[in-house]
Amino acid sequence: MLKKVNAQISQEGAQITIGDASFPEPFVSGLEYASPARGTWNIVHTGMLIPEAHEIFVCAASCLRGVVLTAAEMHAEDRFSTVAVREHNLLDGDMEELIIEGVSDIIEKLPVRPPAVLVYTSCVHHFAGCDLDMIYRVLRERYPDIDFTDCYMNPIMRKSGLTPDQLMRSRLYTLLKEREMRPDAVAIIGNDLPTDENSDLMIYLKENHRKIHEITSCKSYEEYQKMAESAYYISYNAGAVAGGNMLSERLGGKHYYLPFSFCYDEIENSFTKLAEILGTPKPDFTGKREACDAALKETRALIGDKPIAIDYTYCPRPLGLARMLLDAGFKVERVYLDTISGEEKQDFIYLKEYYPGLLLYPTVHAKMRFMSEKEPSDMLAIGQKAAYFVNTNHFVNVIEGGGMLGYQAILHTLELMREAFLEEKDMRTLIQVKGMGCEGCCGL
Amino acid sequence: MIKIAVYGKGGIGKSTTISNLSAALSDMGYKVMQIGCDPKADSTVNLHGKDHVETVLELVRKHKNQFALEDMVTEGYGGVICVEAGGPTPGLGCAGRGIIAALEKLQEKGAYEVYQPDVVFYDVLGDVVCGGFSMPMRGGYADKVFVITSGENMAIHAAANIAMAIEGFKGRGYAELGGLILNRRNVKNEDAKVKELAEDIHTEVVATLSRSDVVQEAEEMKKTVIEVFPESEMAQEYRTLAKRLLEICGVSEC
Repeated sequence: MLKKVNAQISQEGAQITIGDASFPEPFVSGLEYASPARGTWNIVHTGMLIPEAHEIFVCAASCLRGVVLTAAEMHAEDRFSTVAVREHNLLDGDMEELIIEGVSDIIEKLPVRPPAVLVYTSCVHHFAGCDLDMIYRVLRERYPDIDFTDCYMNPIMRKSGLTPDQLMRSRLYTLLKEREMRPDAVAIIGNDLPTDENSDLMIYLKENHRKIHEITSCKSYEEYQKMAESAYYISYNAGAVAGGNMLSERLGGKHYYLPFSFCYDEIENSFTKLAEILGTPKPDFTGKREACDAALKETRALIGDKPIAIDYTYCPRPLGLARMLLDAGFKVERVYLDTISGEEKQDFIYLKEYYPGLLLYPTVHAKMRFMSEKEPSDMLAIGQKAAYFVNTNHFVNVIEGGGMLGYQAILHTLELMREAFLEEKDMRTLIQVKGMGCEGCCGL
Repeated sequence: MIKIAVYGKGGIGKSTTISNLSAALSDMGYKVMQIGCDPKADSTVNLHGKDHVETVLELVRKHKNQFALEDMVTEGYGGVICVEAGGPTPGLGCAGRGIIAALEKLQEKGAYEVYQPDVVFYDVLGDVVCGGFSMPMRGGYADKVFVITSGENMAIHAAANIAMAIEGFKGRGYAELGGLILNRRNVKNEDAKVKELAEDIHTEVVATLSRSDVVQEAEEMKKTVIEVFPESEMAQEYRTLAKRLLEICGVSEC
């Protein structure tokens, strides 16, 4: 029987103390809600990181609406096309032909021949078992001057195998062609946003005279191809690990995952390991811990007992951030996340033991439709979703770690917290821009 | 490794024939894997004799991806590796999608690399009714397709449809039609009708299997003829067919 859902719903199932939460899924997965906080990137934004590439989505027309809107919002209509699948294609069994001929038709009609085409197939191709290998073989034979790669808009596979996010991050580098390697060249891979020039990683690589490649700074397809000269690939987004390993297997460079972390020991250990791999001097951490401790104290003194909410879109380690802040005396009350990553298991266990009252909230649970604060709250939010749900203009507007890394991520996070405490932002406007920081996304 | 898909109208004797071929090849020293692609999940019953083995799709439904390759296989007569793809919830799911999912899961779990069979048989339900049922014909799966038919009109119709599907896939690098296997029902003009079909679809009748009571007797015992009546003429016919298939697939006997 249908039940009337209104504002008077219980929070049961959509709020739990970490003391009672289970790992890795504290909430039951089911009907989902998408909040208006849309700064995180989607597969359209990420694919556009390959300069000059053209994206072609093949799907039922109604499902294409979201990606069409994304392309329009980022003013990339000229790099984006669609092929609509209709019922008769399924009945006639010409799904493969539709892709081949549809993609060909688009290529022929484009004013400029793109050097690369990303073809996004969807759930219907997966269900029907379309022969994608054959499709790409034919397209490559027909257009030898174009590099094709397979991308996926396949939400049905969201919770099995590689996630769409992991897949997309791996597909980004499949077009790189083998070339002579430079032992001093390093490619930072798997990020939507450029690595901060002030991050520990950039500073360390520059100090050691490494040639740095990153897709976010490539302006041409040729420049993108130059990434293949890198003898080392560094990822710091866990979603990019699979892609890094695939790249290593294909091109032969060495992949190293340097985790984003708020733990001093983990930062130092991972950078020390990086130095060993690159054959460069051990990084100098002198004064870093003290600087972070001082910044924590300074920020705590300013913010005082203002309640804090964190969400997972801010960075890959929301529980690690909560742990660091709670240990420093901050009043972290809420963390918004839907699942807990394997990397955060130790932080989860620690928080469960020492801060069992910390509240966890999901972001996509259907009840979250009704669980945003109606009146502006007095909380400080770290991340867009947290800002939306607790309804505050005092928030840190960063997604995916914002290119920060190492001790700099700690120092900069604290700096941004102080700034958010002191200055209000127009939260409602800022969080609704899709793909924060992407080229063409209003520069926000 | 050679991979053979066997198609044909439902009830024509595909599973019985393939199980006997698997047993015969196993006796000849080959490592054989038989994959039943039929929701009934009874392709390999005469090899392992069990009432029920857990199918790939049952495992996927129960455990998502949390199961091992070994959970998907049952060892049958002569070490034949038996796999049943299984099917969807009756009346609700999609059988074609089921075959796709099961075959992908086998590949994903490394079935061919781990067991390294010399011969793989795909026992595929009936006619090619949708894309899922053509999956075993695809690149990476079967190299040759053999169609079992009798002289009955429905069997001939199904065989013609299967041949048409193979023809439609020409140029895609899919499996080729290896030939027809006539499984006699002793209907009028049976040989002539099947020969005519072979000519129409530009192939040949690679073997003729007699109608014999020993086949039913062995089936009642949930065994192959090769196992329980090894000296019978029927067993000899299966052995001859097994050798013929190897020959067509370009394999010299071991």
